[in-house]
Amino acid sequence: MTSSFPGPAGADGHVGKDLLAGYAAGTVGPVVVWSVETHVTGCAQCRSAMSEHVDGERLARNRSVLLARAALPEGGPVRRLLCRCGVPDHLLSLLAATPSLRRSWLLSVLGVLTVVAGEAAAVAHGWIGNGGHASPARYLGPHAGPAGYLHPEALVPFLVVAPLLVLAGVAAAFVPMFDPASRLAVAAPFHGFTLLLVRSVSALAAALVPVVAAAFVVPWPGWLPVALLLPSLALCAFALATATVLGPRAAAIAAGALWALPALLLAEADVPLVIVQRDAQFSCAAVLCVCAVLLFLRRDRFDWGWMR
Amino acid sequence: MTLNVCSAAVRADGLSRRYGSTLALDEVDLTLERGITGLLGPNGAGKTTLLSILATVSEPDAGRVSAFGLDPRDGAERVEIRRRLGYLPQELGYYRHFTVAGFLDYVAILKEITDRRRRAEEVARVLAAVGLERRARTRIRALSGGLRQRLGIAQALLGQPDLLILDEPTAGLDPEQRLRFRELLSGLPGDPVIVLSTHQADDIAAICPKVVVLLQGRVRFAGTPAELAATATARVWAGDQRNAGAHLSWRGGDNRWRHIGDQPPPGAEPVTPTVEDGYLLLSQAASEQ
Repeated sequence: MTSSFPGPAGADGHVGKDLLAGYAAGTVGPVVVWSVETHVTGCAQCRSAMSEHVDGERLARNRSVLLARAALPEGGPVRRLLCRCGVPDHLLSLLAATPSLRRSWLLSVLGVLTVVAGEAAAVAHGWIGNGGHASPARYLGPHAGPAGYLHPEALVPFLVVAPLLVLAGVAAAFVPMFDPASRLAVAAPFHGFTLLLVRSVSALAAALVPVVAAAFVVPWPGWLPVALLLPSLALCAFALATATVLGPRAAAIAAGALWALPALLLAEADVPLVIVQRDAQFSCAAVLCVCAVLLFLRRDRFDWGWMR
Repeated sequence: MTLNVCSAAVRADGLSRRYGSTLALDEVDLTLERGITGLLGPNGAGKTTLLSILATVSEPDAGRVSAFGLDPRDGAERVEIRRRLGYLPQELGYYRHFTVAGFLDYVAILKEITDRRRRAEEVARVLAAVGLERRARTRIRALSGGLRQRLGIAQALLGQPDLLILDEPTAGLDPEQRLRFRELLSGLPGDPVIVLSTHQADDIAAICPKVVVLLQGRVRFAGTPAELAATATARVWAGDQRNAGAHLSWRGGDNRWRHIGDQPPPGAEPVTPTVEDGYLLLSQAASEQ
């Protein structure tokens, strides 16, 4: 079908050469663009004439850019939500390389938490024995709470594992052995400390949410979820700060030992809850402050990389 | 030993680096100008260590580096060097669950290309440069070794770097891909400083106007490929029989024996030496020291 062109057409009712050239170059106004497009859609002769004015190279380049843009990762609903909340799109793209934010990692964390919290709940409800330990009143005194709360020794696996899960998530975000392309990050101008913080804070948040949620599920007085926050933060800060001195892997191991050893020793002494009670909270607060300062002062170490 | 002091864009003075008891680099002096410089040497010669120092990824124990007049020991100047750098490490790891476009997008962000539209343009440009346009949505785990190497080269080209450091870029590429790689490097706009390490002497001869031979952590030769080949003049012969007295002796595709040594074998005639011959003789001499 061929329609007569309503605009500044050539003598034969088709689009003139100058107009076609202007359209192809993008120099004509929107009204003329619509007119040309309406005509060209139904006119094989003008479509053919148009091809002479089109820069094939530019067209191919634009097509490649469009295809590449379509191939760039969009992310899921969480990413879209964060984008709407104002988190820059490129920062969210950086997080895609963080292993502890991947679904498989998060499912593993949930699995471990289910086991240790489930064990505590099972003891509390009498589904499994407590190994012949004494009554809760011995440890808790006025905190023993109503009937149905578990014996503290049943809580030991949860107390030991929960902050370590948070630490493991953060360690996986900054230890190079978990980042196959870490050399590229080191050689790139993007600020190394910023990258470290973006990844670590995201991993911290992603691990803390299920840990705190599990602490609510465990049948224990309500302060436990809050009591786990400070130790978790302190351990991660300790790992990051000491990484500037010991190297990342040794720092992560040292931080893990810093929590696991006292937790196990206190459990052995039949006072497992001391690790999250008042004095321990003060210690964790002190560690957190000192490590935060050390981390800030030595942040340049993350800029050079871990290759030395 | 220097290549060209006057127009040096990148310069290394007295670089040394030790790993435990192994001296990887031993007071290396080097100047690189714009254009392609090939770094030739056997495994363990110190090529990767030298390139990682030039790429500001690791620090030397002694000596200093400057690129475009910038000193990587200064934090701000180090970042400025990295803004002009494209780097392909020898063993580049990949996020196997990423798509090709997703990986390039990630590296583009690390190179401070934060605008999504510009990232798409850069990703499209480098995908086209290495011929991976149709693989943009393919997951990296599904790529062959050669395709991954092309992806590695593509990420190094992001941002149109002024200094391109490629550690064994042709490893894993088939002959056609190697030719395309040569074409790609030769056609890069802006005349960047390119330094590439390789075991392939024919790559050096084909595309590098300058060559540096690194042996046992020291620069043993710096000059043109023709000059490297010339070091073997009158020390390469072709004959019909094997010569047990030669440093090296092998039968070529023409069924004739090629000998490299100090004395001509009986009945053999001298032949024009190649870059590989010169390199082999240098390597032989270094190992005898």
